[in-house]
Amino acid sequence: MTAAGTTPTTRHEVHAVPTPDGALLHATVDGEATAPVTVVLAHGWTLAQAAWDDVAALLAPDVAAGALRLVRYDQRGHGRSTWGGTDPVSIDLLGEDLAAVLTALAPTGPVVLGGHSMGGMTIMALAAAHPELIGDRVRGVALVDTSAGELSHPPRTAVERLQQKLLPAVGGWAVAHARRVEGWRRRVPPTHPRHRAVVRGLLYGTDATEEMVARGAAIMAGSSVRAFVAFYPALGAHDKAAALAELGTVPVEVLVGDSDKLTPVRHSGKLAEAIPTAHLQIVPGCGHMLPQERPDLVTAAIRRLLPAP
Amino acid sequence: MTSTIEKTSAEEIGGVREVHVAVIGSGFAGLGMAIQLRRQGIEDFVVLERGDDVGGTWRDNSYPGAACDVQSNLYSFSFAPNPDWPRTYSEQPEIFAYLRGVADRYELRDKHVFGAEVTAATWDDAARRWDVETTAGAFRAKVLVSGAGALADPSYPDIPGIETFAGTVMHTARWDHDHDLAGERVAVVGTGASAIQVVPAIQPRVGSIAVYQRTPPWVIPRGDRPTTPFERGLYRRFPAVQKAVRGALYAGREFLVFGMAKNRRLLAPVQKLARTHLERQVRDPQLRAAVTPDYTIGCKRILISNDWYPAVSAPNAEVVTAGIAEIRPHSVVTRDGVERPTDTLVLATGFHVTDLPIAHRITGRDGRSLAEVWDEGMVTNRGSAVAGFPNLFLLVGPNVGVGHTSMVYMIESQVAYVGEALRAMAVEDLAVLETTPAAQEAYRELIAQRSAGTVWLGGGCGSWYLDRHGHNTTLWPDFTFLFRRLTKHLDRDNYVGTPERETAGVAA
Repeated sequence: MTAAGTTPTTRHEVHAVPTPDGALLHATVDGEATAPVTVVLAHGWTLAQAAWDDVAALLAPDVAAGALRLVRYDQRGHGRSTWGGTDPVSIDLLGEDLAAVLTALAPTGPVVLGGHSMGGMTIMALAAAHPELIGDRVRGVALVDTSAGELSHPPRTAVERLQQKLLPAVGGWAVAHARRVEGWRRRVPPTHPRHRAVVRGLLYGTDATEEMVARGAAIMAGSSVRAFVAFYPALGAHDKAAALAELGTVPVEVLVGDSDKLTPVRHSGKLAEAIPTAHLQIVPGCGHMLPQERPDLVTAAIRRLLPAP
Repeated sequence: MTSTIEKTSAEEIGGVREVHVAVIGSGFAGLGMAIQLRRQGIEDFVVLERGDDVGGTWRDNSYPGAACDVQSNLYSFSFAPNPDWPRTYSEQPEIFAYLRGVADRYELRDKHVFGAEVTAATWDDAARRWDVETTAGAFRAKVLVSGAGALADPSYPDIPGIETFAGTVMHTARWDHDHDLAGERVAVVGTGASAIQVVPAIQPRVGSIAVYQRTPPWVIPRGDRPTTPFERGLYRRFPAVQKAVRGALYAGREFLVFGMAKNRRLLAPVQKLARTHLERQVRDPQLRAAVTPDYTIGCKRILISNDWYPAVSAPNAEVVTAGIAEIRPHSVVTRDGVERPTDTLVLATGFHVTDLPIAHRITGRDGRSLAEVWDEGMVTNRGSAVAGFPNLFLLVGPNVGVGHTSMVYMIESQVAYVGEALRAMAVEDLAVLETTPAAQEAYRELIAQRSAGTVWLGGGCGSWYLDRHGHNTTLWPDFTFLFRRLTKHLDRDNYVGTPERETAGVAA
């Protein structure tokens, strides 16, 4: 009857996945339930699933062709997802959240997991708690700009000791006075050159375009003070070196930017060493935001993990 | 033979019930008119109501979350204050209950014929009567007053394939309360006043909700709160206090006219308020971009809500801006080729406003319907009378709508005006009162002149305020007290009257 009636369309669903402690995780599912594999992407700290938009756009033809189903979700306390009843939060909790997403949205069939930064740690936590999933359900893992642990070290100087002592109090104050802190944040919005300069310096490599930085900054500006404060200690406490062996039964792609300041190259080096099936790629001119800086490489890595048709 | 005013003749004659005045509709307008008639001692009237109860728009729009955007102290009859409003801004059940209460208090139910949808009203020039066909029998009236409002007949979007949809389809104005939305995938079409009320009400219950948006509305905070027992007691004991509050609310809202109709720059602070509201409530940059309007605030109706943005930011919600290409039996497809599986389709697509359906059913002296006469644009005298349609008065007709304040104020102005006309007919013993084309032309000029430079025409948006020619045919484009002044007395010069005696002579 209409032209649209014959043109191919891509199925798109939104789900609020409940967790056992009452959080609702905002997840979007693209593609048919009949697709041979489901790719699940977990984003990083103070980001949201929008951080995967560029990768999703590159995977869109595969999704449209029915070759894969793509699941993206907002980690708890990020994006549209709520917090749930657990306090303090931990990376292990994020691993359980990912397990809940799998149960709800990909209960059967092969799965490929992709995690950026804290999202990568989430996958390690899942592997540690549910090793039975790896190999049987999870057929491949992409770990992008991430780490197995040792992101914080015991304080060495008096200043560091003082910092460590004060940090929880400062964080607590910031969360308690979130409205005021938000007000300060609004004064220097992501459109502000200084805001962007800070974001670029911290997260991006030399090759990043202004547009990339602007988009990343906008996503992070959308995150809450609480997400920043609550997950900071969780990242410091993250230690899943022992669980890496569990991932050794499936192909693993490890990617990192050569100038990543948050999870420097050596962290990915350790991953590649500990996981016998890992393939390490160090990307020149890039920082901590590979899904935005080089979505082509990240997408290619994910494609290599897909089971042969 | 022509004496129809006596009560005795109000009985059915050949299956046709003869009355002095027939009022169409029993919303705020119809009830207000009925009360006015009573006050003037006119008892020989009937209210033709297509529903099974009074209430009009406030009876039909019972969708979850339905509420009024104007404070109840202002959105009520001036002569029937209600000290017991439970909230400052009332929800539909309270307003509906209020209207039923008014109908009971003024003993108007006996005057109603329910289930009487007017199918045709034709002026019989020889008999000088309106022949009114309804689904509950035929009526013959000397004077016909239409209180069939603008927000009466739901407008259904013309989307390809909508008739093939296998799930439930419901318009917000025809809500199916028996249909359980729990866990369903719901599509809401539209982001107007109904949508921003119904979405927050159903979002927590549904599985997922996709809101299909064409143009985002500007939304300002809703200063709604429960009223305190102290307030209610105060209003009961000292009605003057409530009257003063009402006056203050009226005056405060009238200030918006300066910005909307006089100088658009004055709307800047209101727009800033709306923008801050949006930025506070929407963190996601993509959603923020999608729901940020690109036109001046006030161009489309300003909406008030504290829970709209949180609802569309919820984990199970999304705002879709791609535009609907077609509807399939189990899904909605947008122009970007995305197909969203859908169980229930909620049409929050508004009403036939600029093409009032009642206008198709009213036929004047020369055999043309009001809709045909209005094809080139709606022309009236004071939004109330039309040349070629003798003894017909319109309530809530063209250019009587308001976007900033209480519609009830405008209705009371019009009802009083019709009352003046009826009084003039009685005093002068007129059989027919009809406005002139010249009066209509002058009035059209006045509206066009006052509309020029307003935010509705110059704000950079399309809206249901404008007809297909781009003319403002919906809103009163000035201070509402000026409309009241304009309708306080009958502009007798703008009408031609035909005396009753002469009529009898002609008819014989």
